[in-house]
Amino acid sequence: MKAKKAPLTPEQRWKMTRRRFLIGTGSLGVLAVGGYFGINEGRPALVDMIEKGGASRGGKMPAPNLWFELKPDNSMVFYAPKFEMGQGIHSALAQIAAEELEVDWKQLTVRQADSSKGFDPNVMFTGGSTSVQDLFTPLRTAAATMREMLRLEAAKQLSVNVNDIVALRGECFARQDMGKKLTYGQIVAAKQTKWDIPKEKPNLKARKAFTSIGLNAPRVDVRAKLLGQPVYGYDARVPDMLYGAVARAPRYGATLKTASALDASNQPGVKQVVIDLKANFAGVVADTRTRAREALKFLTLEWGGGTSMGQTEIEALVIARDGLGVVIKKRGNTDASINTGTQVSAEYRTPFAAHAHLEPLNAMAHVQTSKIEIWVPTQATSSDIRGVQAVVGGEKREIVVYPMQMGGSFGRKGAQSAALEAVRLSNAVGKPVHVGWTREEDIQHGFFRPPSHTWLRGSLSTDGRIDAIDQVTASGDILFSVIPIPEPIKNLIGFDFGVLSGLFSPYDIANYRVRSHRVKLPIPTGTWRGLGIFPNTFALESFMDEMAFAAKTDPLEFRLKHVPNTEDGTRLKRVLEDVKTRSDWATPPESGRARGVAFSSMGKTLVAQVAEVSILEKQIIVHRVTVSIDAGLVVNPANAALQAKGSVVMGLSSTLLEKLTVKDGMVEQANFKQYPLLTLKETPPRIDVNFLEGGDTPYGMGEPAIGPIGAAVANAVFALTQKRIRELPLEL
Amino acid sequence: MLKLEVNQLSWDVPDFQASEMLVWVLRDTLGLTGTRFGCGVGVCGTCNVLIDGEPTRSCQTPTADAVGKKITTLEGLAKGTGENLELHPVQAAFLENPLQCCWCMSGHIMNAVALLEQNPNPNAEQIDSAMNENYCRCGGYNSIRQNVTRAAEIASGRS
Repeated sequence: MKAKKAPLTPEQRWKMTRRRFLIGTGSLGVLAVGGYFGINEGRPALVDMIEKGGASRGGKMPAPNLWFELKPDNSMVFYAPKFEMGQGIHSALAQIAAEELEVDWKQLTVRQADSSKGFDPNVMFTGGSTSVQDLFTPLRTAAATMREMLRLEAAKQLSVNVNDIVALRGECFARQDMGKKLTYGQIVAAKQTKWDIPKEKPNLKARKAFTSIGLNAPRVDVRAKLLGQPVYGYDARVPDMLYGAVARAPRYGATLKTASALDASNQPGVKQVVIDLKANFAGVVADTRTRAREALKFLTLEWGGGTSMGQTEIEALVIARDGLGVVIKKRGNTDASINTGTQVSAEYRTPFAAHAHLEPLNAMAHVQTSKIEIWVPTQATSSDIRGVQAVVGGEKREIVVYPMQMGGSFGRKGAQSAALEAVRLSNAVGKPVHVGWTREEDIQHGFFRPPSHTWLRGSLSTDGRIDAIDQVTASGDILFSVIPIPEPIKNLIGFDFGVLSGLFSPYDIANYRVRSHRVKLPIPTGTWRGLGIFPNTFALESFMDEMAFAAKTDPLEFRLKHVPNTEDGTRLKRVLEDVKTRSDWATPPESGRARGVAFSSMGKTLVAQVAEVSILEKQIIVHRVTVSIDAGLVVNPANAALQAKGSVVMGLSSTLLEKLTVKDGMVEQANFKQYPLLTLKETPPRIDVNFLEGGDTPYGMGEPAIGPIGAAVANAVFALTQKRIRELPLEL
Repeated sequence: MLKLEVNQLSWDVPDFQASEMLVWVLRDTLGLTGTRFGCGVGVCGTCNVLIDGEPTRSCQTPTADAVGKKITTLEGLAKGTGENLELHPVQAAFLENPLQCCWCMSGHIMNAVALLEQNPNPNAEQIDSAMNENYCRCGGYNSIRQNVTRAAEIASGRS
């Protein structure tokens, strides 16, 4: 019989970490430390397990996932292992690092970590609102370790006992004689011998001692952007570069049957036409973007196959009803209770939606004999590399990725890469090639938030409480389409775990069953901010209002009445009560207006929102949105508030305006004229965000606040008009 | 060669680019990446530059049309260089209270610069009207509203 492995003690874990701690031996007089901190670098454990078959990462020395450099002039570089897309992650991570380094965050220069610093681009990933929560402890541990190394060395150099050395604002000084001090840079400059890593795990500060975490440190990336510096992927430039444009199929799934390059090759400025029928690829390289795009029109291409589906057929496929789907939650006996008492049933629908990040997809590649370099705005370098490897075949060439900043992403730049196209073109022409998509390409040839349909039945007992809810959600793929899982395994699992986000009602319902019905669509779908949270919450929280109406109870009180008697329930109650107070729920709004409430959670982050609306000439006007969030410890409240407000605005755009429709196997809307986004005037001037901080641990902030807004607005519209709209975008 | 006047400097652009849209000439040919591209159809405003002081969609402006006119891009707003760089009041306001990804920021800034030239003290309604034509997908519209007011304060020395 095999003995069960005891969990590692903190000492054992630290011993393991020490072994993985790296000290740089690079340029003289620089202390460079980093290490692998035993965290799964941001990727959801489930995905990792499936991709790697549960294999351990043991064996070879892992690449670092944290890295600092300290120079004799006391300047310090922090290589941030997460990608910046406007969420302010480089700044938040610098703030966390500064806390334990005992430096002013202004002393830290933040650079994007990449393979040149030994980071493994195969695991670097940013998404799922995981960065701060995943790195919070490892980053502080790394920073504290470096600080301890400096204190130990300072003690030697100042001939003072290490217990009497205080590290503060980038200096070490003697407690009894504050004149005796050295800057971190001086300590590094005077160091002659090998650095040692502390034998014991450094103590991390308690929350009440924080001087950096919790403050509104300014963003580190904005100044360069304000000066127009080339920091985004679309800005990537190298000498001698050329520009590429790629032909697009007229229908999803269509293949390139024949192609003739002749006329395109003769167009002005064209360097090369690249055709690869097997790869369904035809593209042009030219000396300017405009000439490359113009020349595309002269390619003679014959496409075959693909889908010819239209909107009606898609909507007929995306159907949830009793008997469909895999049961993924079951509590009590729904079948026995669902047909008793007062019964309510409803169906909700959400459409395809685009990410519409304002920087369209793009990448630059330079294919050389020894290596392939790619410059790409990306959430997942692993995905870019996988794609590029598939393009270049089994060749063993080093792929060097330079992750560029993203002009928005919202899930899109993690799973679809223009780098593949740039690589094909650069490979043919032998020079660096930049491929920048047009808006039309970006909207029509991306992947979309999948359409969803939710079928809900509920029953109320005589005391006005929910007795049972039966829920079936049908959705196109979210994660299944963007991570490499073999189809048989997908079929075995039966449901896409991206759908789980926001899928379960948080309330105390004795009899509750949730089924998820996976719909395989011939239209590309995938990750969109918050995954399932926006479509799911629209259905669940609209239905909660319908149940409240049937129970003749105020919708907010009805929710409070169903808060479970658990720790999570206590937190839920707190955000609901906070949003009730701050939205002035108990006071009727001015005449012609009404309010609606909704709640959602993602990971451990809880969000409640109240929207206040009116209607003018059949248009829904949202005047005010009140947001209450429990995201645990908030590292940078100002920036976190921007994430919440931005989520509300993006969600509102989907609530009121956004819908993609399919005709003859292609999305009909090609640009913002047909697919308008929410504008400044349509944005409520008041979006009030309040953080209900709890605990010592941060939770995710990038996505959760997008969940409730659809239902909050629909519920407010119902309160105002007694008209229940069950489809997004809301149309009166 | 076409002669373009961008940020008070004269630039040479090959004749064949006369019909190319200004946004690409600025970004790719001249390397002025501060002007960003969003939609190519004049809706989102990301590519706004000032032409003779007027906010103009550079994705809808053939380069030939800008010859002989004064073009101002994001790069032309700050005064001085290096250590002595002084941000334009609108830039300063956006640095204090940034947007998120900031890809659209240049377009908003050019709008605000033009607005404040004409009306140094705009009220909320005037700000909404002048700034409404540009998208911000990250949803920073309320920051944009605040920043125009703040820029007006900075410009008039009320800090």
